[in-house]
Amino acid sequence: MRQGLIFVTVLWAGLGGIWLGSGEAVLDLAFALPDIGPVDDIIIIAVVWAEDLRAPLGVPDWFGALRAGLHRLTGLGG
Amino acid sequence: MLFPTLEFALFFCAVLTLNQFVARSPGWRKALLLAASYMFYAAWDWRFCGLMAAASAVAWGGGLLAGNRARPGLAKAAMITSIVALMSLLAVFKYFNFFTLSLQQLFDGSSLARDISWMRIVLPVGISFYTFQAVSYVVDVSRGDVAARRNPADVFLYISFFPQLVAGPIVRAADFLPQIDAPFRVTRQMRAVAVVLILSGLLKKMVIANYISVGLVDPVFDFPQAASMLEIWAATLGYGVQIYCDFSGYSDIAIGVALLLGYRFARNFDQPYRAKSFADFWRRWHISLSSWIRDYLYIPLGGNSGGALRQSGVLMLVMLLAGLWHGAGWNFVLWGGLHGAVLVAERASPWRMRLKPALVFAVVFALWVPFRAADMGVVGGIFSGLFGGGAGLGTISLPLLVLMALGLALNWLPVRWRLSAEQRLGAMPTFIQAALLALGTVLLFGLAQDGTAPFIYFQF
Repeated sequence: MRQGLIFVTVLWAGLGGIWLGSGEAVLDLAFALPDIGPVDDIIIIAVVWAEDLRAPLGVPDWFGALRAGLHRLTGLGG
Repeated sequence: MLFPTLEFALFFCAVLTLNQFVARSPGWRKALLLAASYMFYAAWDWRFCGLMAAASAVAWGGGLLAGNRARPGLAKAAMITSIVALMSLLAVFKYFNFFTLSLQQLFDGSSLARDISWMRIVLPVGISFYTFQAVSYVVDVSRGDVAARRNPADVFLYISFFPQLVAGPIVRAADFLPQIDAPFRVTRQMRAVAVVLILSGLLKKMVIANYISVGLVDPVFDFPQAASMLEIWAATLGYGVQIYCDFSGYSDIAIGVALLLGYRFARNFDQPYRAKSFADFWRRWHISLSSWIRDYLYIPLGGNSGGALRQSGVLMLVMLLAGLWHGAGWNFVLWGGLHGAVLVAERASPWRMRLKPALVFAVVFALWVPFRAADMGVVGGIFSGLFGGGAGLGTISLPLLVLMALGLALNWLPVRWRLSAEQRLGAMPTFIQAALLALGTVLLFGLAQDGTAPFIYFQF
């Protein structure tokens, strides 16, 4: 049980890191959700609220940079 | 909701977290996984949830009656009625368009010709998989291999369990249902196996299969007349690698995700391109479907009993049906028929030669051509292009060749390497396992192509 909680906590931390360092990817994803009534509305409100917290931090788009670097290195994605 | 997306990552983390909180209550766990599975399916198209619920209800009710040992006549009638009802669902939703189009083509130009192109039914994703699971449940109950479940939630969860819902593996009730009732327990070693499976599945799908598909296979199979001989050879080889990485990648992720939720599934692929014979190939490729067809179709139809002619007839019929199961199109029937023909030939004359595995490899790859081709014109274009045309490199690039080699290497990798990786990871603390999963996923997402290509087997 405790190990399971450690496992999911680290995964959530990873997702938090992705959200923090991936520009507006999560915001784009929220707006691309299918219209499923109040569910997507709640998600969009939560993501916009979180985005308002993230934006002033000025964290660069690390994921975009990583992606560009990997594609350049491997010759893929061009 | 596709596996290799941020949406699924969020969804799965939420389910995994909630699963931790209800871990001690099998009832709540069942309710959570059932709700999550229907939510997962609704993300494709909520209207199809009703269809899956209907198939589950038929299986549950049919199972209750088919398991009635006191009234064997009623039990048998219930089993037959349930199977007919389930296969009718599949026939209508999967094959209606195929049959109407074939009829239209048949009568084209005659006085009977009618425009029925407006009669179209949308194919519900995963219907072939969950219908087969529903059928196997009723048959297994009828055979006494598994006890009928009184609680409908058990059967509904068995049929809708989200990790394997849309593209398998096809899980048997006898393997799945006891796990519903078992206490939740995921060991560090199980997590290690799951991490290796999920990362290898993401690598196979997001990097190898997608790049080969978009960069080489799609352009060549869309316009074979514009491709050079070298491109056609590369695309034919590339599609064999792509479909292996695409489908075994999905299976790996599905099995890994289920394992993190405490459910063990058998492997669905066992290095299929190492097969020593055509029969061996089918023991290694999509194992859950091959064994389903063996147990619920081939053996009931007579299997290995009777004379050689009868056995060959049954084998051909079963392979034609297996081809049709893959898709409602004549190219899939042709693919199944050709596999049936080589199996019959192999059985009639079991050639023993050193180069047989290479021959099996070459024939299996050649037979992927009708499987991938949009129509018979493309099949002809590809096969004729293999022996003529220019030698330009065209879309072939070094990174694509490296990916093809990597895809083949993953098929040939010694099993002990994987086991060793799992053991090493199993010895690590849990937070490192999770960190490796998160980091590996980020790297693979970074390496992946833009956009998300659906898995090939979703269309089946």
